[in-house]
Amino acid sequence: MAEILQILILGLALGGVIALMGSGLSLVFGVMRIVNLAHPSLIIGGAYITYLAFKALGVDPIVMLPVAAVIMAAIGVVLYRLVFQREAKSAKYSEMTVLLTFALAMMVEGLLGGLFTNTQRVTSPDYATAAFFIGDVFIPKGQFYAGVVSLTIIAALSLFLKYSRLGYAIRATTQNREAAELLGVNVQFISILAFAIGIGLAGAAGSLVSFVFSFFPAKHWEWIAMLMSVVVLGGMGSILGTVVGALFLSVVAAFVGTWIGATWSTLTFFLALFIILLVRPQGLFGEKPELA
Amino acid sequence: MTKLLEVTNITAGYGDGPAILDGAHLTVEPGKVHCIIGPNGAGKSTLLKAICGMLSIRKGDVVFKGERLNGLRPDQILRKGICFVPQERALFPKMTVRENLRMGGFILDDKKELERRIDGILERFPILRERAEQHAGTMSGGQQQTLAMARTLIIKPDIVMLDEPSLGLAPKIVQEMFDIMKMMSAEGVTVLLVEQNALMGLKNADWGVVLDLGRTLFEGPAATVLADPRIQELYLGGKKAA
Repeated sequence: MAEILQILILGLALGGVIALMGSGLSLVFGVMRIVNLAHPSLIIGGAYITYLAFKALGVDPIVMLPVAAVIMAAIGVVLYRLVFQREAKSAKYSEMTVLLTFALAMMVEGLLGGLFTNTQRVTSPDYATAAFFIGDVFIPKGQFYAGVVSLTIIAALSLFLKYSRLGYAIRATTQNREAAELLGVNVQFISILAFAIGIGLAGAAGSLVSFVFSFFPAKHWEWIAMLMSVVVLGGMGSILGTVVGALFLSVVAAFVGTWIGATWSTLTFFLALFIILLVRPQGLFGEKPELA
Repeated sequence: MTKLLEVTNITAGYGDGPAILDGAHLTVEPGKVHCIIGPNGAGKSTLLKAICGMLSIRKGDVVFKGERLNGLRPDQILRKGICFVPQERALFPKMTVRENLRMGGFILDDKKELERRIDGILERFPILRERAEQHAGTMSGGQQQTLAMARTLIIKPDIVMLDEPSLGLAPKIVQEMFDIMKMMSAEGVTVLLVEQNALMGLKNADWGVVLDLGRTLFEGPAATVLADPRIQELYLGGKKAA
Protein backbone atom coordinates (compact mmCIF):
# COMPACT_ATOMS: atom_id res chain seq x y z
CA MET A 1 0.00 0.00 0.00
CA ALA A 2 2.82 2.36 0.93
CA GLU A 3 4.48 1.60 -2.40
CA ILE A 4 1.35 2.46 -4.34
CA LEU A 5 0.95 5.71 -2.40
CA GLN A 6 4.62 6.48 -2.98
CA ILE A 7 4.36 5.95 -6.74
CA LEU A 8 1.14 7.94 -6.87
CA ILE A 9 2.70 10.93 -5.10
CA LEU A 10 5.77 10.91 -7.32
CA GLY A 11 3.61 10.60 -10.43
CA LEU A 12 1.35 13.46 -9.41
CA ALA A 13 4.24 15.77 -8.50
CA LEU A 14 5.93 15.18 -11.85
CA GLY A 15 2.55 15.38 -13.57
CA GLY A 16 2.10 18.90 -12.24
CA VAL A 17 5.36 20.01 -13.85
CA ILE A 18 4.51 18.26 -17.12
CA ALA A 19 1.09 19.95 -17.04
CA LEU A 20 2.79 23.34 -16.87
CA MET A 21 5.16 22.32 -19.66
CA GLY A 22 2.19 21.36 -21.82
CA SER A 23 -0.20 24.20 -20.91
CA GLY A 24 1.65 26.79 -22.99
CA LEU A 25 1.68 24.41 -25.95
CA SER A 26 -2.04 23.87 -25.58
CA LEU A 27 -2.85 27.58 -25.20
CA VAL A 28 -0.88 28.53 -28.30
CA PHE A 29 -2.55 25.79 -30.33
CA GLY A 30 -6.00 26.75 -29.03
CA VAL A 31 -5.77 30.42 -29.94
CA MET A 32 -3.61 30.33 -33.05
CA ARG A 33 -3.72 26.73 -34.30
CA ILE A 34 0.08 26.68 -34.09
CA VAL A 35 1.45 23.23 -33.27
CA ASN A 36 4.55 24.64 -31.65
CA LEU A 37 7.16 21.92 -31.99
CA ALA A 38 9.69 24.41 -30.65
CA HIS A 39 7.89 24.67 -27.29
CA PRO A 40 10.13 22.18 -25.44
CA SER A 41 13.27 23.82 -26.83
CA LEU A 42 11.99 27.10 -25.41
CA ILE A 43 11.40 25.36 -22.06
CA ILE A 44 15.06 24.42 -22.20
CA GLY A 45 15.83 28.07 -22.96
CA GLY A 46 14.04 28.99 -19.71
CA ALA A 47 15.98 26.28 -17.89
CA TYR A 48 19.30 27.73 -19.09
CA ILE A 49 18.31 31.26 -18.01
CA THR A 50 17.54 29.85 -14.55
CA TYR A 51 20.72 27.79 -14.54
CA LEU A 52 22.86 30.83 -15.36
CA ALA A 53 21.23 32.92 -12.61
CA PHE A 54 21.73 30.09 -10.13
CA LYS A 55 25.36 29.49 -11.04
CA ALA A 56 26.41 33.12 -11.41
CA LEU A 57 24.34 34.79 -8.69
CA GLY A 58 22.96 31.94 -6.60
CA VAL A 59 19.38 32.91 -7.38
CA ASP A 60 16.88 30.25 -6.34
CA PRO A 61 15.16 28.67 -9.39
CA ILE A 62 11.68 29.29 -7.98
CA VAL A 63 12.54 32.94 -7.30
CA MET A 64 13.92 33.14 -10.82
CA LEU A 65 10.73 31.70 -12.32
CA PRO A 66 8.88 35.00 -12.94
CA VAL A 67 12.02 36.51 -14.48
CA ALA A 68 12.49 33.55 -16.83
CA ALA A 69 8.79 33.73 -17.70
CA VAL A 70 8.98 37.42 -18.58
CA ILE A 71 12.19 37.02 -20.61
CA MET A 72 10.72 34.10 -22.56
CA ALA A 73 7.41 35.94 -23.05
CA ALA A 74 9.34 38.85 -24.57
CA ILE A 75 11.18 36.40 -26.82
CA GLY A 76 7.74 35.00 -27.70
CA VAL A 77 6.54 38.43 -28.87
CA VAL A 78 9.61 38.84 -31.07
CA LEU A 79 9.25 35.31 -32.49
CA TYR A 80 5.57 35.83 -33.23
CA ARG A 81 6.18 39.07 -35.05
CA LEU A 82 9.18 37.76 -36.97
CA VAL A 83 8.04 34.25 -37.79
CA PHE A 84 4.31 33.73 -37.46
CA GLN A 85 2.56 37.03 -38.06
CA ARG A 86 3.47 37.24 -41.71
CA GLU A 87 2.11 33.74 -42.32
CA ALA A 88 -1.14 34.32 -40.40
CA LYS A 89 -3.23 34.87 -43.52
CA SER A 90 -1.88 31.84 -45.35
CA ALA A 91 -4.52 29.24 -46.17
CA LYS A 92 -2.07 26.57 -45.00
CA TYR A 93 -1.16 28.40 -41.81
CA SER A 94 -1.34 25.41 -39.43
CA GLU A 95 0.68 23.17 -41.76
CA MET A 96 3.21 25.96 -42.33
CA THR A 97 3.66 26.48 -38.60
CA VAL A 98 4.54 22.81 -38.10
CA LEU A 99 7.47 23.25 -40.48
CA LEU A 100 8.36 26.68 -39.10
CA THR A 101 8.37 25.52 -35.49
CA PHE A 102 10.35 22.41 -36.41
CA ALA A 103 12.99 24.66 -37.96
CA LEU A 104 12.79 26.97 -34.95
CA ALA A 105 13.37 24.02 -32.59
CA MET A 106 16.49 23.07 -34.57
CA MET A 107 17.74 26.65 -34.43
CA VAL A 108 17.17 27.00 -30.69
CA GLU A 109 18.90 23.66 -30.12
CA GLY A 110 21.85 24.75 -32.24
CA LEU A 111 22.08 28.12 -30.48
CA LEU A 112 21.92 26.58 -27.01
CA GLY A 113 24.41 23.88 -28.07
CA GLY A 114 26.80 26.56 -29.25
CA LEU A 115 26.45 28.55 -26.04
CA PHE A 116 26.36 25.78 -23.46
CA THR A 117 27.61 22.59 -25.21
CA ASN A 118 25.69 19.33 -24.92
CA THR A 119 26.74 18.66 -21.34
CA GLN A 120 23.87 17.68 -19.04
CA ARG A 121 23.03 20.46 -16.58
CA VAL A 122 20.91 20.77 -13.49
CA THR A 123 20.44 23.46 -10.89
CA SER A 124 20.89 22.17 -7.38
CA PRO A 125 19.15 24.21 -4.71
CA ASP A 126 19.15 22.54 -1.27
CA TYR A 127 15.60 21.29 -1.58
CA ALA A 128 16.33 19.50 -4.87
CA THR A 129 17.91 16.62 -2.97
CA ALA A 130 15.84 16.81 0.24
CA ALA A 131 12.58 15.03 1.06
CA PHE A 132 9.61 15.02 3.41
CA PHE A 133 8.83 11.75 5.13
CA ILE A 134 5.32 10.68 6.08
CA GLY A 135 5.68 7.26 7.63
CA ASP A 136 7.26 5.04 5.00
CA VAL A 137 6.42 7.42 2.20
CA PHE A 138 8.94 10.01 1.09
CA ILE A 139 8.13 13.07 -0.97
CA PRO A 140 11.10 14.67 -2.75
CA LYS A 141 10.96 18.37 -1.88
CA GLY A 142 12.11 19.46 -5.32
CA GLN A 143 9.40 17.56 -7.18
CA PHE A 144 6.80 18.53 -4.58
CA TYR A 145 7.60 22.24 -4.78
CA ALA A 146 7.75 22.12 -8.57
CA GLY A 147 4.40 20.32 -8.74
CA VAL A 148 2.71 22.74 -6.35
CA VAL A 149 4.13 25.82 -8.10
CA SER A 150 3.09 24.41 -11.50
CA LEU A 151 -0.47 23.72 -10.45
CA THR A 152 -0.68 27.15 -8.76
CA ILE A 153 0.41 28.84 -12.00
CA ILE A 154 -2.11 26.81 -14.00
CA ALA A 155 -4.87 27.66 -11.51
CA ALA A 156 -3.99 31.35 -11.84
CA LEU A 157 -4.01 31.02 -15.63
CA SER A 158 -7.41 29.33 -15.52
CA LEU A 159 -8.86 32.08 -13.30
CA PHE A 160 -7.42 34.69 -15.67
CA LEU A 161 -8.97 32.95 -18.67
CA LYS A 162 -12.31 32.44 -16.93
CA TYR A 163 -12.90 35.83 -15.35
CA SER A 164 -10.74 38.60 -16.85
CA ARG A 165 -11.72 40.63 -19.89
CA LEU A 166 -8.59 39.54 -21.74
CA GLY A 167 -9.25 35.96 -20.67
CA TYR A 168 -12.72 36.16 -22.23
CA ALA A 169 -11.12 37.49 -25.41
CA ILE A 170 -8.57 34.65 -25.48
CA ARG A 171 -11.26 31.99 -24.91
CA ALA A 172 -13.50 33.58 -27.51
CA THR A 173 -10.68 33.71 -30.05
CA THR A 174 -9.90 30.06 -29.30
CA GLN A 175 -13.50 28.99 -29.98
CA ASN A 176 -14.38 31.21 -32.93
CA ARG A 177 -11.77 33.63 -34.17
CA GLU A 178 -14.03 35.34 -36.71
CA ALA A 179 -16.85 35.80 -34.20
CA ALA A 180 -14.45 37.27 -31.67
CA GLU A 181 -13.27 39.78 -34.24
CA LEU A 182 -16.84 40.69 -35.14
CA LEU A 183 -17.57 41.40 -31.48
CA GLY A 184 -14.74 43.86 -31.13
CA VAL A 185 -11.79 41.68 -30.12
CA ASN A 186 -8.52 42.73 -31.70
CA VAL A 187 -7.56 39.17 -32.57
CA GLN A 188 -4.13 40.21 -33.76
CA PHE A 189 -3.30 41.60 -30.32
CA ILE A 190 -4.89 38.60 -28.61
CA SER A 191 -2.78 36.25 -30.74
CA ILE A 192 0.41 38.04 -29.73
CA LEU A 193 -0.70 38.08 -26.08
CA ALA A 194 -1.59 34.38 -26.09
CA PHE A 195 1.68 33.48 -27.78
CA ALA A 196 3.61 35.56 -25.23
CA ILE A 197 1.75 33.87 -22.36
CA GLY A 198 2.37 30.45 -23.92
CA ILE A 199 6.11 31.05 -24.28
CA GLY A 200 6.16 32.71 -20.85
CA LEU A 201 4.72 29.48 -19.45
CA ALA A 202 7.55 27.63 -21.23
CA GLY A 203 10.00 29.93 -19.42
CA ALA A 204 8.29 29.30 -16.07
CA ALA A 205 8.31 25.55 -16.72
CA GLY A 206 12.00 25.82 -17.62
CA SER A 207 12.81 27.22 -14.18
CA LEU A 208 11.13 24.25 -12.49
CA VAL A 209 12.51 21.72 -14.95
CA SER A 210 16.01 22.99 -14.19
CA PHE A 211 16.04 21.25 -10.80
CA VAL A 212 13.61 18.40 -11.50
CA PHE A 213 15.29 16.96 -14.62
CA SER A 214 18.79 17.19 -15.99
CA PHE A 215 18.72 18.96 -19.33
CA PHE A 216 20.81 19.66 -22.40
CA PRO A 217 19.93 21.33 -25.72
CA ALA A 218 18.78 18.18 -27.56
CA LYS A 219 16.57 17.05 -24.67
CA HIS A 220 13.56 18.74 -26.31
CA TRP A 221 13.12 15.85 -28.80
CA GLU A 222 12.23 13.57 -25.93
CA TRP A 223 9.88 16.12 -24.41
CA ILE A 224 7.92 17.06 -27.51
CA ALA A 225 6.55 13.53 -27.86
CA MET A 226 5.72 13.44 -24.16
CA LEU A 227 4.01 16.85 -24.28
CA MET A 228 2.09 16.04 -27.45
CA SER A 229 0.75 12.89 -25.74
CA VAL A 230 -0.42 14.93 -22.77
CA VAL A 231 -2.00 17.69 -24.86
CA VAL A 232 -3.65 15.30 -27.33
CA LEU A 233 -5.04 13.16 -24.50
CA GLY A 234 -6.52 16.23 -22.81
CA GLY A 235 -7.79 17.70 -26.09
CA MET A 236 -5.73 20.19 -28.08
CA GLY A 237 -6.42 23.68 -26.77
CA SER A 238 -7.88 22.62 -23.42
CA ILE A 239 -5.85 23.68 -20.37
CA LEU A 240 -7.98 21.53 -18.07
CA GLY A 241 -7.46 18.62 -20.44
CA THR A 242 -3.71 19.19 -20.38
CA VAL A 243 -3.66 19.05 -16.57
CA VAL A 244 -5.78 15.89 -16.45
CA GLY A 245 -3.74 14.30 -19.25
CA ALA A 246 -0.43 15.17 -17.60
CA LEU A 247 -1.42 13.91 -14.16
CA PHE A 248 -2.94 10.72 -15.55
CA LEU A 249 -0.07 9.81 -17.87
CA SER A 250 2.58 10.71 -15.31
CA VAL A 251 1.00 8.47 -12.71
CA VAL A 252 0.65 5.63 -15.22
CA ALA A 253 4.28 6.16 -16.33
CA ALA A 254 5.40 6.10 -12.68
CA PHE A 255 3.65 2.76 -12.12
CA VAL A 256 5.02 1.35 -15.36
CA GLY A 257 8.51 2.58 -14.48
CA THR A 258 8.42 0.99 -11.05
CA TRP A 259 6.70 -2.28 -11.81
CA ILE A 260 7.79 -3.04 -15.36
CA GLY A 261 11.00 -1.08 -15.85
CA ALA A 262 12.23 2.49 -16.30
CA THR A 263 12.79 1.98 -20.02
CA TRP A 264 9.10 1.29 -20.49
CA SER A 265 8.05 4.39 -18.57
CA THR A 266 8.69 6.77 -21.51
CA LEU A 267 6.89 4.37 -23.82
CA THR A 268 3.70 5.00 -21.83
CA PHE A 269 3.43 8.46 -23.36
CA PHE A 270 4.08 7.32 -26.93
CA LEU A 271 1.66 4.43 -26.64
CA ALA A 272 -0.99 6.74 -25.19
CA LEU A 273 -0.54 9.16 -28.10
CA PHE A 274 -0.95 6.35 -30.58
CA ILE A 275 -4.08 4.94 -28.91
CA ILE A 276 -5.74 8.34 -28.42
CA LEU A 277 -5.25 9.30 -32.05
CA LEU A 278 -6.83 6.02 -33.12
CA VAL A 279 -9.70 5.91 -30.64
CA ARG A 280 -10.60 9.49 -29.72
CA PRO A 281 -8.57 11.99 -31.74
CA GLN A 282 -10.30 14.97 -30.12
CA GLY A 283 -8.99 13.83 -26.70
CA LEU A 284 -10.84 13.89 -23.39
CA PHE A 285 -12.01 17.50 -23.38
CA GLY A 286 -11.66 18.50 -27.01
CA GLU A 287 -15.20 18.25 -28.30
CA LYS A 288 -16.18 17.89 -31.91
CA PRO A 289 -17.58 21.17 -33.30
CA GLU A 290 -21.12 21.58 -32.10
CA LEU A 291 -22.18 24.55 -34.19
CA ALA A 292 -23.10 24.05 -37.80
CA MET B 1 -33.79 60.66 -47.90
CA THR B 2 -31.62 60.57 -44.73
CA LYS B 3 -28.64 58.32 -45.21
CA LEU B 4 -27.18 56.38 -42.32
CA LEU B 5 -24.94 54.21 -44.45
CA GLU B 6 -24.04 54.63 -48.08
CA VAL B 7 -22.17 52.10 -50.18
CA THR B 8 -20.98 53.54 -53.47
CA ASN B 9 -19.93 51.33 -56.39
CA ILE B 10 -17.68 49.04 -54.42
CA THR B 11 -15.41 46.33 -55.78
CA ALA B 12 -14.34 43.61 -53.34
CA GLY B 13 -13.31 39.95 -53.25
CA TYR B 14 -11.55 37.33 -51.17
CA GLY B 15 -7.78 37.71 -50.88
CA ASP B 16 -6.19 38.15 -54.28
CA GLY B 17 -9.04 36.29 -55.99
CA PRO B 18 -11.46 37.70 -58.55
CA ALA B 19 -13.84 40.48 -57.55
CA ILE B 20 -17.14 39.15 -56.20
CA LEU B 21 -18.62 42.61 -55.92
CA ASP B 22 -18.17 44.96 -58.83
CA GLY B 23 -20.36 48.02 -58.82
CA ALA B 24 -22.51 47.27 -55.77
CA HIS B 25 -24.27 50.20 -54.18
CA LEU B 26 -26.68 50.57 -51.33
CA THR B 27 -28.35 53.27 -49.29
CA VAL B 28 -29.47 52.59 -45.74
CA GLU B 29 -32.01 54.76 -43.97
CA PRO B 30 -32.13 54.91 -40.18
CA GLY B 31 -34.65 52.75 -38.33
CA LYS B 32 -35.78 50.75 -41.35
CA VAL B 33 -35.48 47.12 -42.41
CA HIS B 34 -33.54 46.65 -45.64
CA CYS B 35 -33.54 43.34 -47.45
CA ILE B 36 -30.92 42.35 -50.03
CA ILE B 37 -32.09 39.65 -52.42
CA GLY B 38 -30.49 37.94 -55.39
CA PRO B 39 -29.51 34.54 -56.70
CA ASN B 40 -26.77 32.37 -55.22
CA GLY B 41 -23.38 33.86 -55.92
CA ALA B 42 -24.77 37.38 -56.41
CA GLY B 43 -22.45 38.71 -53.68
CA LYS B 44 -25.06 39.33 -50.97
CA SER B 45 -23.02 37.94 -48.07
CA THR B 46 -19.85 39.41 -49.57
CA LEU B 47 -21.45 42.84 -49.47
CA LEU B 48 -22.17 42.54 -45.74
CA LYS B 49 -18.63 41.28 -45.14
CA ALA B 50 -17.19 44.20 -47.06
CA ILE B 51 -19.25 46.68 -45.03
CA CYS B 52 -18.15 45.20 -41.69
CA GLY B 53 -14.46 45.15 -42.62
CA MET B 54 -13.98 41.41 -43.06
CA LEU B 55 -13.01 42.00 -46.69
CA SER B 56 -10.90 44.82 -48.00
CA ILE B 57 -12.60 47.14 -50.46
CA ARG B 58 -10.65 47.52 -53.68
CA LYS B 59 -12.68 50.36 -55.16
CA GLY B 60 -15.59 52.52 -54.06
CA ASP B 61 -16.60 53.78 -50.64
CA VAL B 62 -18.50 52.74 -47.56
CA VAL B 63 -19.61 55.82 -45.66
CA PHE B 64 -21.34 55.62 -42.28
CA LYS B 65 -22.71 58.77 -40.63
CA GLY B 66 -20.51 60.78 -42.98
CA GLU B 67 -17.34 58.84 -42.07
CA ARG B 68 -15.49 56.63 -44.55
CA LEU B 69 -15.08 53.08 -43.23
CA ASN B 70 -12.73 51.74 -45.94
CA GLY B 71 -9.68 50.04 -44.43
CA LEU B 72 -11.02 49.74 -40.88
CA ARG B 73 -10.91 46.38 -39.06
CA PRO B 74 -14.17 44.64 -38.01
CA ASP B 75 -13.60 45.53 -34.35
CA GLN B 76 -13.17 49.20 -35.30
CA ILE B 77 -16.32 49.18 -37.43
CA LEU B 78 -18.26 47.56 -34.59
CA ARG B 79 -17.22 50.40 -32.31
CA LYS B 80 -18.73 52.82 -34.86
CA GLY B 81 -22.08 51.06 -34.36
CA ILE B 82 -22.38 48.41 -37.08
CA CYS B 83 -22.93 44.86 -35.88
CA PHE B 84 -22.82 41.78 -38.12
CA VAL B 85 -24.29 38.31 -37.55
CA PRO B 86 -22.89 35.94 -40.20
CA GLN B 87 -24.65 32.82 -41.46
CA GLU B 88 -22.80 30.63 -38.98
CA ARG B 89 -24.23 32.78 -36.15
CA ALA B 90 -20.79 33.44 -34.69
CA LEU B 91 -21.43 31.98 -31.26
CA PHE B 92 -18.90 30.57 -28.83
CA PRO B 93 -20.08 26.97 -28.39
CA LYS B 94 -18.25 26.24 -25.16
CA MET B 95 -19.34 29.46 -23.49
CA THR B 96 -22.65 29.72 -21.69
CA VAL B 97 -25.47 31.91 -22.98
CA ARG B 98 -24.57 34.51 -20.35
CA GLU B 99 -20.90 34.42 -21.35
CA ASN B 100 -21.86 34.79 -25.01
CA LEU B 101 -23.90 37.85 -24.09
CA ARG B 102 -20.94 39.16 -22.12
CA MET B 103 -18.82 38.79 -25.24
CA GLY B 104 -21.52 40.74 -27.09
CA GLY B 105 -20.64 43.68 -24.87
CA PHE B 106 -16.90 43.20 -25.10
CA ILE B 107 -16.37 46.76 -26.29
CA LEU B 108 -18.22 48.23 -23.30
CA ASP B 109 -15.93 49.43 -20.53
CA ASP B 110 -18.54 49.74 -17.77
CA LYS B 111 -18.92 46.23 -16.31
CA LYS B 112 -21.96 47.11 -14.20
CA GLU B 113 -23.72 48.60 -17.20
CA LEU B 114 -22.86 45.48 -19.21
CA GLU B 115 -24.38 43.19 -16.57
CA ARG B 116 -27.46 45.44 -16.42
CA ARG B 117 -27.90 45.17 -20.19
CA ILE B 118 -27.41 41.39 -20.09
CA ASP B 119 -30.13 41.14 -17.43
CA GLY B 120 -32.34 43.27 -19.68
CA ILE B 121 -31.79 40.93 -22.64
CA LEU B 122 -32.48 37.86 -20.50
CA GLU B 123 -35.68 39.52 -19.30
CA ARG B 124 -36.85 40.12 -22.87
CA PHE B 125 -35.90 36.69 -24.19
CA PRO B 126 -37.26 34.09 -21.74
CA ILE B 127 -35.74 31.21 -23.70
CA LEU B 128 -32.30 32.70 -23.12
CA ARG B 129 -33.04 33.36 -19.44
CA GLU B 130 -34.01 29.70 -18.99
CA ARG B 131 -30.77 28.61 -20.59
CA ALA B 132 -28.48 31.33 -19.26
CA GLU B 133 -25.98 28.84 -17.84
CA GLN B 134 -26.18 26.36 -20.74
CA HIS B 135 -23.39 26.12 -23.31
CA ALA B 136 -24.44 27.77 -26.57
CA GLY B 137 -23.24 24.80 -28.60
CA THR B 138 -25.80 22.53 -26.97
CA MET B 139 -28.82 24.67 -27.95
CA SER B 140 -31.10 24.17 -30.95
CA GLY B 141 -30.59 26.12 -34.18
CA GLY B 142 -33.45 28.51 -33.41
CA GLN B 143 -32.21 29.15 -29.90
CA GLN B 144 -28.71 29.81 -31.22
CA GLN B 145 -30.07 32.26 -33.77
CA THR B 146 -32.12 34.02 -31.07
CA LEU B 147 -28.97 34.31 -28.98
CA ALA B 148 -26.95 35.63 -31.93
CA MET B 149 -29.57 38.28 -32.69
CA ALA B 150 -30.25 39.22 -29.08
CA ARG B 151 -26.52 39.53 -28.45
CA THR B 152 -26.24 42.33 -30.98
CA LEU B 153 -28.58 44.47 -28.87
CA ILE B 154 -26.16 44.56 -25.93
CA ILE B 155 -24.14 47.39 -27.47
CA LYS B 156 -27.22 49.24 -28.77
CA PRO B 157 -25.89 49.39 -32.33
CA ASP B 158 -27.12 51.72 -35.07
CA ILE B 159 -27.17 48.97 -37.68
CA VAL B 160 -27.51 45.20 -37.32
CA MET B 161 -26.59 43.21 -40.42
CA LEU B 162 -28.04 39.70 -40.56
CA ASP B 163 -26.83 37.15 -43.08
CA GLU B 164 -29.58 34.62 -43.76
CA PRO B 165 -30.96 34.35 -40.24
CA SER B 166 -33.57 31.83 -41.40
CA LEU B 167 -31.02 29.40 -42.80
CA GLY B 168 -31.70 25.85 -41.64
CA LEU B 169 -34.59 26.81 -39.36
CA ALA B 170 -38.14 25.40 -39.29
CA PRO B 171 -40.81 27.75 -40.74
CA LYS B 172 -42.35 28.48 -37.32
CA ILE B 173 -38.94 29.42 -35.93
CA VAL B 174 -38.21 31.55 -39.01
CA GLN B 175 -41.25 33.69 -38.18
CA GLU B 176 -39.88 34.15 -34.66
CA MET B 177 -36.62 35.44 -36.15
CA PHE B 178 -38.52 37.96 -38.26
CA ASP B 179 -40.49 39.00 -35.17
CA ILE B 180 -37.23 39.68 -33.34
CA MET B 181 -36.05 41.67 -36.33
CA LYS B 182 -39.22 43.76 -36.30
CA MET B 183 -38.77 44.35 -32.59
CA MET B 184 -35.25 45.60 -33.27
CA SER B 185 -36.54 47.94 -35.92
CA ALA B 186 -39.31 49.21 -33.63
CA GLU B 187 -36.62 50.11 -31.12
CA GLY B 188 -34.84 52.24 -33.70
CA VAL B 189 -32.19 49.73 -34.76
CA THR B 190 -31.64 49.75 -38.51
CA VAL B 191 -31.63 46.26 -39.99
CA LEU B 192 -29.78 45.20 -43.11
CA LEU B 193 -30.81 41.69 -44.02
CA VAL B 194 -29.62 39.16 -46.57
CA GLU B 195 -32.31 36.58 -47.10
CA GLN B 196 -32.49 33.55 -49.36
CA ASN B 197 -36.25 33.43 -48.83
CA ALA B 198 -36.66 36.63 -50.85
CA LEU B 199 -40.44 36.79 -50.63
CA MET B 200 -40.50 36.55 -46.86
CA GLY B 201 -37.56 38.90 -46.52
CA LEU B 202 -39.14 41.60 -48.65
CA LYS B 203 -42.53 41.21 -46.96
CA ASN B 204 -40.86 42.00 -43.65
CA ALA B 205 -38.73 44.83 -45.01
CA ASP B 206 -39.21 48.52 -45.81
CA TRP B 207 -36.52 48.70 -48.47
CA GLY B 208 -35.41 46.17 -51.05
CA VAL B 209 -32.11 45.80 -52.87
CA VAL B 210 -31.62 43.44 -55.80
CA LEU B 211 -28.08 42.24 -56.33
CA ASP B 212 -26.86 40.10 -59.22
CA LEU B 213 -23.37 39.20 -60.40
CA GLY B 214 -21.85 41.50 -57.80
CA ARG B 215 -23.70 44.65 -58.82
CA THR B 216 -26.85 46.36 -57.66
CA LEU B 217 -29.61 46.04 -60.22
CA PHE B 218 -32.31 47.87 -58.35
CA GLU B 219 -33.10 49.38 -54.97
CA GLY B 220 -36.31 50.91 -53.76
CA PRO B 221 -39.25 50.44 -51.41
CA ALA B 222 -39.76 46.75 -50.64
CA ALA B 223 -43.37 46.95 -51.88
CA THR B 224 -42.15 48.24 -55.24
CA VAL B 225 -39.59 45.45 -55.52
CA LEU B 226 -42.25 42.89 -54.63
CA ALA B 227 -44.64 44.27 -57.20
CA ASP B 228 -42.14 44.40 -60.07
CA PRO B 229 -43.09 41.59 -62.50
CA ARG B 230 -39.55 41.21 -63.79
CA ILE B 231 -38.13 40.80 -60.28
CA GLN B 232 -40.96 38.43 -59.42
CA GLU B 233 -40.05 36.32 -62.42
CA LEU B 234 -36.29 36.36 -61.89
CA TYR B 235 -35.83 36.36 -58.13
CA LEU B 236 -39.11 35.40 -56.49
CA GLY B 237 -39.71 32.26 -58.51
CA GLY B 238 -42.62 33.90 -60.28
CA LYS B 239 -44.50 34.29 -56.97
CA LYS B 240 -46.62 37.38 -56.57
CA ALA B 241 -46.76 39.17 -53.25
CA ALA B 242 -49.96 38.37 -51.37
